[in-house]
Amino acid sequence: MAIGKKKKGEAESAVPYTKGLLALQMMMTLAALLFAAPILIIINYSFKSKKELYLNSPLALPESISFDNYVKAFDKLNMKATFVNTLFYTATSVLILAMLCGTTAWAIARCKKKFFKFAFVYFIVGILIPYQALFLPIYTIGYKMKLTNTRYGIIFMYVATGISFGVFLMNSFMNTVPLELEEAARIDGCSVFRTYFSIVLPLLKPAMATLVIMQSFQIWNDYLLASLYVSKKQLKTLTVAIQSLFSAQSSDYTTAMAAIVVSVLPIAVLFISLQKYFIKGMTVGAVKG
Amino acid sequence: MKKKIVSSLLAAVMVSSMLAGCGQSNDAGSAPADAAGEAPAQEQSNETEAEAETEAPAAEEAGEEVTLTVLAGQSTTDAGIEDMIDEALAEKYPNITLEWECVDWGNDFQPKMQQYLQSGLPDIMIGKAQDVATYAPQGVLAEIDSTYLDRGLDAARENVTIDGKTYGMVYNALYQGVYYNKDMFAENGWEVPKTMDDLQAIIDDCNAKGIKPFASHMVDTWSIGNVTMQFMMNDVFNNTPDWGDQFREGKVSFADSEEMKTAYEYNKLIFDNTYPDTFSTEQTDCDAKMVMGEAAMKVSGSWSIQNFLDIDESFNFGIFPFPNQTGDSKLIFEPNITIMTSAQTEHQDAVNQVLDVLTSDKELAVEIYDYTKTASMLKDVSPTFENPSQADIDQYAADGNIVDVTLGNNQLVWGGFQEENAKDIAAWLQGQESFEDALAASDGRVDASSAN
Amino acid sequence: MAKKTKSSMEDKMARQYLILVLPGFLIFTVGLIIPLLLSLRYSLTDWDGMATEKIFVGLKNYVKLFQDKEFLDSWWFTIKFTVGNTLIQNIAALLFAVALDSGIKAKKIYRTVFFVPCLISAVIVGFIWLKMFSNVLPAMNDWLGTNFNFLLFGDAKTVLGGLLIANNWQWIGYWMLIYLAGLQSVPSELYEAAKVDGAGAIKRFFNVTIPMLAPAITICVVGITTGSLKVYDLLVSSTKGGPGRASTSVIYKTYTTAINGRQYGYGSAMTVTLVIALLAVALIQVKGLKSKEVQA
Repeated sequence: MAIGKKKKGEAESAVPYTKGLLALQMMMTLAALLFAAPILIIINYSFKSKKELYLNSPLALPESISFDNYVKAFDKLNMKATFVNTLFYTATSVLILAMLCGTTAWAIARCKKKFFKFAFVYFIVGILIPYQALFLPIYTIGYKMKLTNTRYGIIFMYVATGISFGVFLMNSFMNTVPLELEEAARIDGCSVFRTYFSIVLPLLKPAMATLVIMQSFQIWNDYLLASLYVSKKQLKTLTVAIQSLFSAQSSDYTTAMAAIVVSVLPIAVLFISLQKYFIKGMTVGAVKG
Repeated sequence: MKKKIVSSLLAAVMVSSMLAGCGQSNDAGSAPADAAGEAPAQEQSNETEAEAETEAPAAEEAGEEVTLTVLAGQSTTDAGIEDMIDEALAEKYPNITLEWECVDWGNDFQPKMQQYLQSGLPDIMIGKAQDVATYAPQGVLAEIDSTYLDRGLDAARENVTIDGKTYGMVYNALYQGVYYNKDMFAENGWEVPKTMDDLQAIIDDCNAKGIKPFASHMVDTWSIGNVTMQFMMNDVFNNTPDWGDQFREGKVSFADSEEMKTAYEYNKLIFDNTYPDTFSTEQTDCDAKMVMGEAAMKVSGSWSIQNFLDIDESFNFGIFPFPNQTGDSKLIFEPNITIMTSAQTEHQDAVNQVLDVLTSDKELAVEIYDYTKTASMLKDVSPTFENPSQADIDQYAADGNIVDVTLGNNQLVWGGFQEENAKDIAAWLQGQESFEDALAASDGRVDASSAN
Repeated sequence: MAKKTKSSMEDKMARQYLILVLPGFLIFTVGLIIPLLLSLRYSLTDWDGMATEKIFVGLKNYVKLFQDKEFLDSWWFTIKFTVGNTLIQNIAALLFAVALDSGIKAKKIYRTVFFVPCLISAVIVGFIWLKMFSNVLPAMNDWLGTNFNFLLFGDAKTVLGGLLIANNWQWIGYWMLIYLAGLQSVPSELYEAAKVDGAGAIKRFFNVTIPMLAPAITICVVGITTGSLKVYDLLVSSTKGGPGRASTSVIYKTYTTAINGRQYGYGSAMTVTLVIALLAVALIQVKGLKSKEVQA
């Protein structure tokens, strides 16, 4: 976090706006337009009626602004429940992950015993395991522990699949925590736990922010685990509900488009409002990592 | 500055050495894996519930609250019927609550069933008629009481019956064949084709007049698989109902069977006479083009009706079976919503009460048929929605010219066989694979051709 | 004496550290590692995923794997997809990051626009591009009177290109942010020094920027490669592995074999092979990239 301070800010205004920069600006604008186009097209689609979709050009603007598709999407997706579910699963898992990954990574970084070295490797391997391909055993374990079709079950799985990346990320931040502070605390007679919560945790805030954001949108968008663990109507998540709108026969596209907009919106707002932390967190991660 | 580089390097080296270490630890881990792996469910599915089935459904009438779990494999046209069923059930048996789990039949029904075969099936499962052949031999399905079966049409019963026991209650049906634009046929003086020559004449006339003979959407592999089964029904299974069994016995093969080759080759006929971008066309777009008069015919099923009518409620269409070599092809119907019940349910009475509502509540049935635009499989119930192709269906039915595709789907299963064959057909149509290779690939898949 | 207290103190601390590690360790083991071991076990059987009995067949499934043309083809597709992604995504993300690190205006807007696609679930991204290629872009042709072939998902020869576009659209912004973060922490004194030495912009880029970005490059390369090797969600709602099998990835093949094809044992062997390959690739890359960093 300290790194950013002396940076760019003032330097920027000092650089004159040259012709080269203008050309670059135009190129970037073009690229940005290309990137934004699919999103604008989805939004455009989401206001069209089913008939317009077939009879008019996909590029044409809707004949009238109608929120029918949104109303339908809310209804078909059982939006109230699915939205709350998704939010609840995401928030809870991310909180638990932030807590666990922080303590785990810190303990691994500080304790030099063999077990901790092994534990680090053990967690890192997890990043490489394609849990998509472990479909049945993940389920088998889940039902034996009575985790399937429960809220805590899906949260448990999000924590299990997210923890390896989380530990890896937090570990790379650990050298931003000065050892001297910890040692001072220890000399004062603090236990390991107190040292963590009173000294380390506050210093890890930017790292936590990064972790929270990165995991949030992965969990928010998860399809496979959610479809595996919570398929009961009252427990479903947004992505699973949307997927059922574009299943094989007779897709209801306009409603699906509205549903996409609704599902992306909250996470986009979260990112845009928190992007300062995200980038700060990444700065530390990418540079010190 | 330097510190930063050094520390990042150190961290990186650590990662790399860790990763190096983990490669080994993984190998080492493989030995104890067998010991560590838990023994999977050994719950044997004994049919101990046999007595429960014969109990009178009245026993629980006034009864306590019961919650039944239901796994419903649906297509999008079906989504929503669960609310209708809930409503009807609440009227007659308010003590029963259904806990629905609705999934997409094509993608998720089989995975879900595989999960539940490990952990115990839901009380009620709603799938397609062909599912009975897949799951009944596992000994996990209960026989359906004849009280309810007798309220349904006899036609669908045969293919959900194994060794004299019926494990599925067929609720509705889809018709499959060639949908055609009636007005266009009338304008051009085309008759419904009975033979391949008749069909070819129409195709030639279409091409001469700049009309696409066929609408098709091959981006969906399932649609290639679906039409191929239609072709096989009339050219193969009509003459040789046990073709699949013979295939597994090694008596016949795709490469040597003229009938099978013919069935595959019809795909080429369609491909050569449809939109050039069929491999980028999806069902809804395809149906829209058909409605707008860009194409004359479409090999499809009742699932297209909802689309047709959504785009133009006055679209006038009919249906005929895709002609075969012998000129005696039949209109295909597919029993769709098929209710199966678990052999191990603790609430057999409540399950029967649900079956009772489904088979006796005619209002509910009509509501569902109208909503899904499908045909009734219950006695004395017919949908009331305007279906321009109904006259054609009635005619074929009256003449006894309809055939249940479940026969073909039981002989050669969908998942892992028809579905995979369709991919080879797609590759062949695109010139990625020779016709002979596509046939050989189907022959090579013989082990996967039956569910058991 | 003093030594003794010190070591008992250390033990005590180690125990406390252990308490911090254990919950995560257990959850991870139960949720991911045991399923992996189970998979390994299934891979030695002929289980169909349904029956109660699983017959042990030894390494038969693994032998079969290497004669299975469809499986080898799925590897070939996955490799092409991965190499394509790693090259395009790294270069594009780095270029975008450099552009955003320059003096242009309205950086925040660009950053947000590039980043937003990765907030969308891959299942939905696949669906969006299916619509783009089959409806929207052809309509663009009509509008502009041009005749580009946009039907990329419709032909076995172009489907890879189409998927690369979709995947890059989704992820470039994400990796761009990491490069941007790396760039912004390169001290400006280094550039000044290079300037004084008379190095031009391009030379400065290769001699100062790239070496300083080494840690970020490692993160990005490893992340993109292992992510691409695992591609599955993107395919589910777009090409479904087609046309034919032209875009069938290893995981897609595994899934259809194990689940739809009812060959769970054989499918598990595919999984195990993939995990081993992923580990090997990550290992080689990290080692290779790190040795470069050392030289720098």
